[in-house]
Amino acid sequence: MEIFIQSLISGILIGGVYALIGIGLTIIFGVMRVINFAHGDLLMLGMYATYGLFTIFHIDPFVSILITAPLLFLFGAFLQKVFINRVLGALPQNQILLTIGLGLIMSNAMMLAFTSDYKILSTTYSSSSVKILGISISSPLVISFAITAAITAALYWFLLKTNTGQAIRATAQDREAARLMGINVKRMSIIAFGLGTALAAAAGGLISPTYYIFPQVGSVFTLKAFVITVLGGMGSVIGATLGGVLIGIAESVGGVYIGSGWKEVIVFVLFLLVLLFKPSGLLGKSRT
Amino acid sequence: MSSVGHADFVVTQALPAARPKARVVPLTLVTISVGGLFMLPLFVESTYILHMMVLIFINVIVGSAWNILGGYTGQYSVGHAAYFGVGAYTTMMLLQFRQVAPWIGIWAGAGAALVTALIIGSICFRLRGPYFVLASIAVAEIFRVSALNLKNITNGAEGILITELPPLKIGETVITDWSEKIPFYFTGLIFALIVIVVSRMVLRSKLGYFFQAIREDQDAAHSLGINPTLYKNSALALSAIFTSLAGSLYAVYVGFIDPSTVLGLDLSVQIVMICIIGGVGTIFGPVIGALVLVPLSEALRSNVITDLLIRSGIVHEDSKVGAFLKENLAHAHVLIYGILVVIVILFMPEGILGFFKKLAARRRKA
Repeated sequence: MEIFIQSLISGILIGGVYALIGIGLTIIFGVMRVINFAHGDLLMLGMYATYGLFTIFHIDPFVSILITAPLLFLFGAFLQKVFINRVLGALPQNQILLTIGLGLIMSNAMMLAFTSDYKILSTTYSSSSVKILGISISSPLVISFAITAAITAALYWFLLKTNTGQAIRATAQDREAARLMGINVKRMSIIAFGLGTALAAAAGGLISPTYYIFPQVGSVFTLKAFVITVLGGMGSVIGATLGGVLIGIAESVGGVYIGSGWKEVIVFVLFLLVLLFKPSGLLGKSRT
Repeated sequence: MSSVGHADFVVTQALPAARPKARVVPLTLVTISVGGLFMLPLFVESTYILHMMVLIFINVIVGSAWNILGGYTGQYSVGHAAYFGVGAYTTMMLLQFRQVAPWIGIWAGAGAALVTALIIGSICFRLRGPYFVLASIAVAEIFRVSALNLKNITNGAEGILITELPPLKIGETVITDWSEKIPFYFTGLIFALIVIVVSRMVLRSKLGYFFQAIREDQDAAHSLGINPTLYKNSALALSAIFTSLAGSLYAVYVGFIDPSTVLGLDLSVQIVMICIIGGVGTIFGPVIGALVLVPLSEALRSNVITDLLIRSGIVHEDSKVGAFLKENLAHAHVLIYGILVVIVILFMPEGILGFFKKLAARRRKA
């Protein structure tokens, strides 16, 4: 029972970070109807940026999010303006291939620059743990969950209360209607892509103390991000939050009871089942 | 399908003189190049060129195979590594653990891929567009992780290495002992030709018209009495069989497979790229794609480009940049796929073949 609770809690904690990755992907999809296959690679860039700041300037990985997230926001905005914007009206296949291509460029450029060696960012607290109610939990996970919760809360506030946030949601709801209401749809797309990228970068920073850092790490997270967003319903921010936590739990509990080698299979089988029986996702409204 | 036949008839009637002439030129070109390919090993002794040709043939086979499903039928599978890997693993497991010769195992692999395709098709074809793409990726990943975990039958992450390849015999005469590249060259060439000819036959047949109708508008095709599920599954079955042949050929040729090389997402993406870069939905698109991609990525892999830069004096060999390029450029050969696909999608969405066709059409007008 204790093992179950322990794996459940660490599942929820890592699920928070997954939620962040999923929310980024779902905002991009919501506003532009583009599935970003480079999402995991953007996260990888966030990890490397965090690693670089840590080794050169000795900035704590959790603090460096304040630097990496804005930087990657600009990078995401650039990607949208230069590349993604040109294929918004194109076939979905072409959009997918373009983002796959961009992802390949990012991961291989990083490989060219830093080789494919695994890098480890070890802080003084990387392997420490805290005891809560007699259950020991890795402390970087606890800190990262707290930061994730803060970021998610800020994001909800931004999307629900600010003018820009409401404009983004309006664009996601109906691009044409939003345009007719005088919303600068192009600008919203740029902001949305920047925001999605910044969220991926933040997630990358948050997991960097507990994960290996290498150029190909992205594809794992790209796939996870798809599972999370489809599970919650494409374009739904609340759905992605829920999906992230669910996947975290499924992985963690499944890893303990079925074997850690098979935990990815559990996730993909879950994904296929949702796609087949509830393709609109747990909270999604319509498929189109 | 009488209406399609009728349309064809009208075209022949309207252009009585132009049609045969236009056909003679490409036909002689194809005959000459095929003849040339069969003669090539007589003149070329470089094993490197033969090696490159074998890789090109394998790429042509997978590209054309994917094209049947992705290009003609419009179902963008980004999980074709599943069929490549099923073929490769079946052949290799039979060879290493059951001592079954690869030229028998390759057909067992094709059978296994066919069964796999029917199961996957019955699940994934309920989905459309991006959802189908995501499902195809998920299925291929399930295969990869399973191959990684089922250590007692697949050797897990260690992969399978061929220790001994039995010689090919008819009666008592040994035809080849596979120690050279030439037998692989001819096997690859013949398979590639078969796949191209079958693709062409399919494209010009009733089946091909059904495929294309589904690609253009599935609902309209359905309302005309074309069963989308049946024909999408037929396209996938054909595509999967050819893909598995390429997988088996690759496995036996290279002599080593592991889950990430024959079942990885990278491979699935590269298979799609061959067609995108050459031209989706055309018979010779995958050929062009393979001819462009294989030499380019091989040049990066074997440091030809770094050597050129150094020899031409742009980069100094002893300088930091030179050493860096020598060290790392070989590992980043996939970079070229990324750059090419971005250029192609943005500037020539119909691929290289489509781009030049358009260019030629424009010149004819002017």
